[in-house]
Amino acid sequence: MEHRQIGTKADEEGKGSFPTPTEIDSRKHGMWSLGWQRFKRNRTGMVGLALVAVVVFFALFGPFFAPYHPNDQSAMLEFRSKAPPSLKNLFGTDRMGFDVATRVIYGAPTALVVGVGSMAIASIIGIIMGGFSGYIGGMADELLMRFTEFFLVIPIFIVILIIVRIFGIVVVGTALENIPYLNLSTIIIILGVFSWPPIARMARAEFLRLKEMEFVEAARCIGVGRPGIIFRHILPNAMPSLIVLIALGIGGAILMEAMISFLGFGDPKAISWGQLLYFNYEFLKIAPWASIAPGLAIFITVLGFNLLADGLTDAFNPRLKE
Amino acid sequence: MGILRFIIRRLIFMVALVIGVSILIFFMINAIGNPIDILLAERPGVTPEVIEIVKKYYRLDRSLTEQYISWLGNVARLDFGTSIIFNQPVKDLLVTWGWETMKLQVTAILISLGIAIFIGVTAATRQYSKIDFGVMSAALLGRSLPGFFLGILLILIFSYWLGIFPSYGAYSTRNMLLGSPLLDSLWHMVLPVSMLAYFNTATLTLLIRSNMVDVLRQDFIMAARASGLKSRHVVYRHALKNAFIPALTYLAILFGLMLGTAPVTETIFTWPGLGYLYITAIQQLDFPVIMGTNLVITLMLVTANLLTDIAYVFIDPRIRLE
Repeated sequence: MEHRQIGTKADEEGKGSFPTPTEIDSRKHGMWSLGWQRFKRNRTGMVGLALVAVVVFFALFGPFFAPYHPNDQSAMLEFRSKAPPSLKNLFGTDRMGFDVATRVIYGAPTALVVGVGSMAIASIIGIIMGGFSGYIGGMADELLMRFTEFFLVIPIFIVILIIVRIFGIVVVGTALENIPYLNLSTIIIILGVFSWPPIARMARAEFLRLKEMEFVEAARCIGVGRPGIIFRHILPNAMPSLIVLIALGIGGAILMEAMISFLGFGDPKAISWGQLLYFNYEFLKIAPWASIAPGLAIFITVLGFNLLADGLTDAFNPRLKE
Repeated sequence: MGILRFIIRRLIFMVALVIGVSILIFFMINAIGNPIDILLAERPGVTPEVIEIVKKYYRLDRSLTEQYISWLGNVARLDFGTSIIFNQPVKDLLVTWGWETMKLQVTAILISLGIAIFIGVTAATRQYSKIDFGVMSAALLGRSLPGFFLGILLILIFSYWLGIFPSYGAYSTRNMLLGSPLLDSLWHMVLPVSMLAYFNTATLTLLIRSNMVDVLRQDFIMAARASGLKSRHVVYRHALKNAFIPALTYLAILFGLMLGTAPVTETIFTWPGLGYLYITAIQQLDFPVIMGTNLVITLMLVTANLLTDIAYVFIDPRIRLE
């Protein structure tokens, strides 16, 4: 639990014979710093963090390392399309003469934007829905739980595919068509809209548990309003459990986008790993490197987020694990 | 509450859910645009008269609610309409293609369950040993390995490089394996089933191991051991029965995941199943098939959930029926 400081300046100016609460450095014993200290000792979590860091690094600084321009097909002119890995092309070239390594590096930002973007949407919806239903309870709570149950049982992936496909046709000829990366944005929004139920469930459980705690009662006693209690007092304490789910969800969303793109429903203008697999899968026998490299990239990213979530669970909910 | 009432209540919820999903899909298709207009957007040069005839044939000149109710009424009489691209009754398509999907998935679930129980129990009885650590790491890795990437690797290794297993299809059109259709079909199933089973085994092993570790520490196990029962009997009879219950719930979730991502599995292996049918239908905008496939997949999923719920009650009488 987070212990908020009660001490004020007035206390400090007092006699000082008592150790006032301000003398305890709350930063060192707060929930987050304790969690970080436990996390640092967790090997799985640190490996996950390192993998995620590598992906983030390439997403941010990839263009400085990429040996070619992402649209450079010059290998085609030298009859070097589908060339095996060499010093010139570290992961070889694909059937259109693109350098595989370059394309994979340029896929990193897409993957992260999809993962983080869709989970941001999912967390906002999930926390608001779950938080309010857990805190207020009653009829709203009952309704929400039935609703999330519905979302948990329906085959989400299949529903998402049809929406993406039909939306792609409908926008043709409308003003929406000119929005850059429209298809990718659609995928992000839909993934977000369909993946909030687990977060809502967890938020509800956490809010139900926390709202009876003494510090919440104390806040209520000194007259903090309902939004203040929900967002400033309960939410920060519910965050650790939610963050584990969000980390898992980012990996899941990246995988989902990869699968959608792999089936050919991705954004043709964006470079994504699933898309690379889609383009190169037909040539698996002739140019296997062009399929293996993006596949490995997806694997590393998803593994990174899964391990990170594992480490976070150990760090913040040590009672859950042996 | 009696078991019968419980089942009836679940059945009602199940039917509501299936209808709910079909309404969702139906109105989503129609909210985005009239199916015929969407269909014709990609097929230029159709005269208005033909459009009128087609609309009349598919009863699209009526209101949406009427259309939906007539569709539902037909489905109740097992008439799913006629496929636009295959020009066959959707029912026949669903039966033949659905059988192929079930063949893969049921085999995969059974195999992974057998392996997971064996490995999970072995790891749990030797907690913190090298075997345990190896199993845990492999399972963690396996859970993050995207199924479709594994599928691509399997095809690459076993089909292209070693040439042992076929890379696509469910049957050979000629040169069957040893001239036997059964062997030939099993031979085609090896790669897709291993891909599906791998992911399930990883998840189930982790689950069974952690439950076994908990159960093995309880008093009744100690009592059973003290009474002189053989260790194998204690572990597999007494402990496993208790550790198995959470895995059982997960079985329905895994089944749902497999069905939901069947489009990906079946695209990789060009497997003539429901997922492949669905992708073809989405690409060609074959709306009767989309609606039918969706209904069947949701129905399978919900049935799996129902069966788990019922099995749950029989295995663990402590569970309250509500």
